Amino acid sequence: MKIKLELYGASREFSEKDFLEFDLNEKSSINDLRNEILNFIDKNFKGNSNFKKLVETSKFCSEENNIISDSYKITKNQKIGIIPPIGGG
Amino acid sequence: MIHAKIIDVSKEKISLTKAQKFITSNKCGASIYFVGTVRDQNDNKKVTGITYDSHDVLVIKSFEEIYKEAETKFKFENTTVFIEHIKGYAALGETSIIIAVTCKHRAQAYEFSRYIIEEIKKKTPIWKKEHYENEDSKWLKGSPLIDKNQLK
Repeated sequence: MKIKLELYGASREFSEKDFLEFDLNEKSSINDLRNEILNFIDKNFKGNSNFKKLVETSKFCSEENNIISDSYKITKNQKIGIIPPIGGG
Repeated sequence: MIHAKIIDVSKEKISLTKAQKFITSNKCGASIYFVGTVRDQNDNKKVTGITYDSHDVLVIKSFEEIYKEAETKFKFENTTVFIEHIKGYAALGETSIIIAVTCKHRAQAYEFSRYIIEEIKKKTPIWKKEHYENEDSKWLKGSPLIDKNQLK
């Protein structure tokens, strides 16, 4: 499955574009996606510990704009947003 | 009644006049305006501006949910709330957020307004990148989003 990961906040440092693309196995979960992003950080940013911590503490948002848990099964190609720790106002 | 919006500063301006027009009501005797602005210092660094990023759909959803929660919690009658937050760059002293609240009585208006800003800090997906005098910049750490009700 093709996942377009939309980047927000500090995760925008992961790419010059505002998204990353991942190819996941069928029935992957958000936890699997999180691990793929961590692998991406290892490969592209020499395991940058700040980036990895950011991924570990982020939530994710479905194409339907719901916050989804780590066990959420991804069943189709879709856009998913990474929601790093927040701090507006 | 609520008005909730993200203002993209590259296209329009955030405005107190708009807030005032929206919340004016003869049924209420108290209005509170909370205005968040960019200040010049954070963590002993001289700040020159902040870039705000947001997940627009989730932000609006979050503002509306916070308003509903406040209505349920306080049970005040005839409340009107106006919330706008910017996205994009704001220089020193510029406004990042306006929360305008009108209620029957002043104690209610203070309480309602305070509740809304505190919940926004915990629940609304908005991020800040601070810009400093030495031309350096940094995304602020923030706190993990609290959104237990929406977990699926």
